[in-house]
Amino acid sequence: MSRGARLWLYALAGLVALSVVRTVTGADDLTSAGTMRAAIIAAIPIALAGLGGLWSERAGVVNIGLEGMMILGTLGAGYYTYYQGPWVGLLGAMMFGAIGGVLHALATVVFTVDHIVSGVAVNIIAAGVAGFLAEVFFADLEGGGPTQSPSLERPMSITVPGISDWSADLSAQRWFLVSDLAGLINALTAGLSIFTVLALLALAGTGWLLWHSAFGLRLRSCGESPSSAETLGVNVYRYKFLAVTMSGVFAGFAGCYLAVVASSGYANGQTGGRGYIGLAAMIFGNWRPGGLLTGSLLFGFTEGARLRQGGESVHALLLLIGVALLALAAWQLYRARRAVALLAATVGAGALWWYLATEAVPDSFTEMTPYVATLLVLALFSQRLRMPAADGQPYRRGEAG
Amino acid sequence: MRHSARLAIGAVAAATLALSGCASGDGGSGGGDEDAAASESICDSADGDGPAIGLAYDVGGVGDQSFNDSAYAGLEKAVEELDATCEEAEAQAGEDDAAREERLRTLIDAGYDTLIGVGYIYSTAAYNVAPDYPEVSFGVIDGFNPTESQEDLPNVANINFAANEASFLVGAAAGLTTETDNVGFIGGTNTPLIQGFEAGYVAGVKEVDPTITVQTQYLAQEDPVKGFENPAGGETAATGMYDNGADVVYHAAGKSGLGLFDAVERAGQGNWAIGVDSDQYLTADKSQKPFILTSALKRIDTGVFEFAESVDSGKQLSGYVTYDLADGGVDYSTSNPKLSQDVIDQLDDYKQQVISGKITVPTEP
Repeated sequence: MSRGARLWLYALAGLVALSVVRTVTGADDLTSAGTMRAAIIAAIPIALAGLGGLWSERAGVVNIGLEGMMILGTLGAGYYTYYQGPWVGLLGAMMFGAIGGVLHALATVVFTVDHIVSGVAVNIIAAGVAGFLAEVFFADLEGGGPTQSPSLERPMSITVPGISDWSADLSAQRWFLVSDLAGLINALTAGLSIFTVLALLALAGTGWLLWHSAFGLRLRSCGESPSSAETLGVNVYRYKFLAVTMSGVFAGFAGCYLAVVASSGYANGQTGGRGYIGLAAMIFGNWRPGGLLTGSLLFGFTEGARLRQGGESVHALLLLIGVALLALAAWQLYRARRAVALLAATVGAGALWWYLATEAVPDSFTEMTPYVATLLVLALFSQRLRMPAADGQPYRRGEAG
Repeated sequence: MRHSARLAIGAVAAATLALSGCASGDGGSGGGDEDAAASESICDSADGDGPAIGLAYDVGGVGDQSFNDSAYAGLEKAVEELDATCEEAEAQAGEDDAAREERLRTLIDAGYDTLIGVGYIYSTAAYNVAPDYPEVSFGVIDGFNPTESQEDLPNVANINFAANEASFLVGAAAGLTTETDNVGFIGGTNTPLIQGFEAGYVAGVKEVDPTITVQTQYLAQEDPVKGFENPAGGETAATGMYDNGADVVYHAAGKSGLGLFDAVERAGQGNWAIGVDSDQYLTADKSQKPFILTSALKRIDTGVFEFAESVDSGKQLSGYVTYDLADGGVDYSTSNPKLSQDVIDQLDDYKQQVISGKITVPTEP
């Protein structure tokens, strides 16, 4: 079976599982259109940051500075959207993000500074610059302040007439599987931000460019074996520099999305570590666009579910986790891996017991849900991750052989 | 040669970064320059011989249209009426107590002897620094005594507000207004301070009608950045509540509350939001104003001013000082014309009952 078909099958299985859980537990908000919409809005900034990381790391540069580039993006989006609307705002955000990217590229590619050190520096510089410029930009505007922009115009959203209405009706029916699917369709057809579409296109476009074009092959070769690439005439410096700059562009887009789609203005500190989560999603997704989108959606879904009807929805997810782990335990036992089976069975039984013994999960646990869920899936299904071979290693021209 | 070329590249890059910042700062912001005076701190021009006030803000600083702005209003009053001089400082996200201590010491070294920390996060720092400077007065808004012995220091005042009482009133307003018998509460962090807001709010709703459902959601457990500076999370949580039947939602979540205002506007006519700390009807976007039913007011300006005044008159407040409904330290706002006179009359009635002690508002859920 091709990878594409398998991905669809996984998605369908996930939806069926969620539907069963919802029907059994009665936690109706778990797959409502609202939760799906919240999931998408929470997932896209993470996916875009992850996409930035993908460009950079595929060319062999570790980019922990994504968070900082994202901060610059939120600031650029805030400034340009206020004066010239969301489209110019998007370009402004990308430009600001790219400045962060160029900085990181200069340090790592030209000066061969350690990638982590440079990335951390970018994060610190960006937070400082944004704090300072926010005061310069927004302090005197009506409705703004030294730490936040005024309310910003949101980019247009798409509503497909017809489909959006009947999917909303179906979603409210609470039928098995049909309503859950309708919830997802409704989230994609009613009030879908044009920036969401753009982000998905960027993901698909990157997949095509990096894996189906000569340009992409050369770029990836810089991340796998730069000296071999050099012997074949690839200008490794140029590719790496470009990749890290593009990384900043996408991180800037992520910041823009956060500022004008997920909320309606710039605010200091609003990125809240999403850049790091994006990096984690990229690793989760095995340095591939489809994988990182899956990771982001998983994180976004659990985050949206817990912020809406946290106690109830997360309680329902416990059932899913418990059953899944027990099934895994049985499978591992069949394959004679006793230790793993025992671990999965213990944790699974614990989750089931917790589900049966309580009515709702306390708030203090729901906040961890996105992290725990991501960690769990990563631990169980992502055993064969392979990062680009020369990722994070300094490269100097002419040192081949 | 090669080395100097690299240096040159670095310099050019740095200059580009700096210039791009300046250029975009100047370009197109013509509208902003005219009222530039609005953002200038009163401390720049204050030169009286009254108390020398050092004001240390919570994360967010002036311009949060809430907590810190209210403290600034009190500072303005102190400058005008007490001839105070002042200096401001602001907390950074993710800093620790050592950084806050350093901030207080810096203000003291600069000659300020009336220090006010805006926010409970300054409690530990104030209690650590205060013994070293017996001649300096410390006031901490929402402060608490972090020491094990609970012994009061003569030069530290914990300026507290009965936020639960103000929350009780807006809870009653929510209970009187809701038509779906379903209301919501969004808290920033799940800490005792914010739980006080929830407790009062829920009590107020139930006072009107015990059968009304109250949905509650905290954005974070401890992390103040995810709790109070997360408008995206606030919007998700609020939309979830409106989707699940609530028609009035109250927030105690700082800047994250801006997300609530976006959500209520999208939820449309017949839905309401309730603001916190300052009268958020006055500062909200024009299109969002009609949806902001009322706000639970916490007169931090009164707290700041009266503390400065007490120092000025030589009778420094110390220990726990609590402002409540009775002395006007907390209240609810009536600036939205859509809050009907009928509701206001009933709320004032509840207010009297709280003041007279007929109703006791709980402080924890």
